[in-house]
Amino acid sequence: MARQTTYLAASTAIFAGLLVAAWVTHGTGVVRDDPERNIVIPDELTSTLQVRAAYDGERIWFRYRWPVERPAIFNDVLVYQDGEWVARGGEALGPNPEYLTEDRVAMMIDDGSVPLFSRYGGYITIGDGLTTFTGVPETDEERTKYLPSTRTDPNEFEAIRPESDLEMLRAAGQFLDLWQWRSSRSNPIGLGDDGFVADERGGDAGTGPYTTNFDRETGQPLYMFNPAVAGSPALALDAVIAGDVGFDDTYYLSAETAVPFDPTLDWQNGDTIPRRFLRPTDGSRGDVTQPSAARWDDGFWDVTLVRDMDTGNALDDKIFRDGGNYDLAFAVFRNSSTMRWHYVTLPISLGLEQSAQLVAERIEPGSEPDWTQPWTELTTFYPGQVTWGRLTDPRLHPGAEGIEARIPAAVRHSEEQLALYGVQMEFAEEIRTQWIWTLIASLGLIVGLGININLLMRRREEQQ
Amino acid sequence: MIGQQRNPRLVTNAEREGSMKRTEWRARARRVAIGATAITLVAGTALAQGNGGAVAAEGEVGWTLSSVYHILAAHFPVGLWVTAYLFILIRSFSDSEFAVRVQRAIWPVVALGTLAGFVTYGLGLTIYPWSAITESPLGRNHILLATWTLSYWTVMSVLGYRFRRHLFDGAQRWITLALATIGMLVITITGTLGGSLTGTPSLVTKSLNWIGWNVYMTFYLPTWMLLVFAAGAVLLVVIGIVGHRAQAGPK
Repeated sequence: MARQTTYLAASTAIFAGLLVAAWVTHGTGVVRDDPERNIVIPDELTSTLQVRAAYDGERIWFRYRWPVERPAIFNDVLVYQDGEWVARGGEALGPNPEYLTEDRVAMMIDDGSVPLFSRYGGYITIGDGLTTFTGVPETDEERTKYLPSTRTDPNEFEAIRPESDLEMLRAAGQFLDLWQWRSSRSNPIGLGDDGFVADERGGDAGTGPYTTNFDRETGQPLYMFNPAVAGSPALALDAVIAGDVGFDDTYYLSAETAVPFDPTLDWQNGDTIPRRFLRPTDGSRGDVTQPSAARWDDGFWDVTLVRDMDTGNALDDKIFRDGGNYDLAFAVFRNSSTMRWHYVTLPISLGLEQSAQLVAERIEPGSEPDWTQPWTELTTFYPGQVTWGRLTDPRLHPGAEGIEARIPAAVRHSEEQLALYGVQMEFAEEIRTQWIWTLIASLGLIVGLGININLLMRRREEQQ
Repeated sequence: MIGQQRNPRLVTNAEREGSMKRTEWRARARRVAIGATAITLVAGTALAQGNGGAVAAEGEVGWTLSSVYHILAAHFPVGLWVTAYLFILIRSFSDSEFAVRVQRAIWPVVALGTLAGFVTYGLGLTIYPWSAITESPLGRNHILLATWTLSYWTVMSVLGYRFRRHLFDGAQRWITLALATIGMLVITITGTLGGSLTGTPSLVTKSLNWIGWNVYMTFYLPTWMLLVFAAGAVLLVVIGIVGHRAQAGPK
C-alpha cells in the first residue's frame, strides 16, 4: 500500500510539476525581433499621452505631453565619409539606436463625416499591403494609410476609385484632417505640419516646413551651418549620436542658421549636416503652427499646436465650430521610431464646451490658454500589423460581427489587449502552430495521467 | 517423488488467479482506451473544423450558432463539477455518515457534468468559424482550457466510475482531492476566459495576470517544453505500468 501510494503521489507530483513548468515557460520561443520580415517588437507595448484643448472662437489649441527617455532632435543627416556625403538615419525598423529618427505626435480629426472613425479610429485606415508590413515588397512610392471608401475594394491598395469619385468624397467630408509635429523637421522653427488622410496620407496644398538639403547632381549638401552662428560649418557625428548636441546648440538648418554649402572647405570624416532644411510654410499646409518651439524636459515632450478654427480650406481641414463635437485619434512616435513603430490611441470624442472625453475650454477671444484644466490621460499602444480587412472579415476575426453592428472597439478591447493582439498578429502562423501542438501535447499528458491513475488506484479488497 | 508432485488444485487456482488478473488488466486497458479515444475524438473534431488547423479564409462563413446556447449550457457542467468538488472536499476530510452519503453522489454528478461538458464544448465550437476563433488569442486560450477541463473531468469520471468509494480509501483520498483541486482550477480558468471572450473579464482574469499569465496572450509552450510534456506523458504511463505490476506481483 505504501509503495502504491508513493507511485500515486509521485505521479500527481510529476503532473502538477509539469503544469507549473508550463505556466512558467508558456508564451516563449516564438515572439522575437525578425528584421528580415520587418518585425521589431518595442520593449514597451503601451505608454501614455496627456492632452488638453482650448479655443477662443478664432483659434484652437491642443497641448500634448508624452514620455520619451531621450529626445531625438535629429532626423536624417548627411555624414562626410572618405570624400562622399552619405545619408544616415531617418527611416528605421523600430527604434533608431543612433537616435537619428525624430520624435513626433500626430492627430487625426473628423467631424462625423468618416464612417466608423469614431468607433475604430486609425484602424479603418490600415489597408492591406502598406509599406513596412511583413511580406509587402518595397515600392518606390510609400504605400500609406487610406480610407476604405476611397477604394473599390477597401482591402486593395491599388483599387483606387476614379478621381471624380475621390473629389465627390472629399466634398462630402470623407477625409481625416491630420496634424503633425516633428521634433526635427518642424519643431526648431516653431511649426507643425497640416495634412490629411483620404486616398492616401498626404500634405495639404502649399509648402511644408522642410525640404531636402541635398543636391543629387553634385552629391553634396545644398546648405551647411553658418560658422558665424553655429561656430562650425558642421557638427561631429559622434556628438550627434551621443546626444551631446542639444536645444541650446545650433542643430538645425534654416535661413537664420545656414549658408550655401562650400565644397572647398577642409571637410573631415564624421562631419555631419542635417539632411533637411527648414523653411516657413505657406498655403493650407502651413495652417498648423506652434506658439513657440517645444522643448523636451524631465522625460517628457510638451508640445502645443494651434490653428485657426476655420482655415477657409474646408476641403483640406476639418473646421471647428463653437459648441461642436469631433472625433480624434492620436499617434506618438517616441524613442526615435517612425513608420508603423508608433503608439496610437483609440478614438476619443472632443467637445468644444460640450460633454466629451476631451473638452476644449473656451477662453477669451485674443487671449492665450492658461492650461489650468486637468489633463485628459490616454493610453497609447503599439498596434502591430492589424489591417481593416482582417478586422472586418468574420472568417478571421470573431469580432467582425461586432464591427458590423458598429460596436466601438473600446467596448470590447482595452489598449493593452490590442497591443498584445497586435504583436501576436505579427507571428500569427507560428503561434497558431505552437498552440495546436500545445493542445495536443497537453491532451496527451492528461490521457497519460488518466492511464497512470487508473492503473495505480486500488480498491480496498485488492489491497488485502 | 510423490511428495514433489504439484498439487493440481493449487496450480489451477494460481492459473485462474493469473487469468483473472489478465482479464481485469485487459478490461482496464479497454476502458482507458475508450476514454482516450473519446478525448482524442473531441480534439480531432475541433482541429478538423479548421482544415487541420490551417487558416481557411476563403469561401463563405460556415454555419454558426448564437453564443447564448453555449453560455446557457455551460452552467450545467460547471455547476455539476463544482458540486462534485464540494462533495470530494467534504469526504476527504470526514468519515461521517453525511460525508459517506455525499460520497455516493460524486460519481454520478461528475459523469453528468462531463456529459453536459461535451454538449457545451460542442455548442462552443459552433459560435465562431474555426478560422476566426483560432485567430483570437483569447479564443485559443478558451478552447485550450476547455479541452483541458473536459478531458481532465472525463478522466475523473472514469476514475469515479471504476473506484467509487475506494477513491477515499486511506491515502488515496488525498490523491483524489489533489486531482479534483486541479480540476477545479481548470474549470475556473476556463469559465473566466469565456467571460473575457464575451467582454466581461473578472477578477480571476486579473489574478491570472498577477501570477504570470496575461490571458490576452496565447497560451503556448516552447518546443522543448512540448517534448518535456510528451516525455512526461510517457513517464506517467510507465510509472502506472510499473506500479501496477509491482502491486500485482508476489506479496
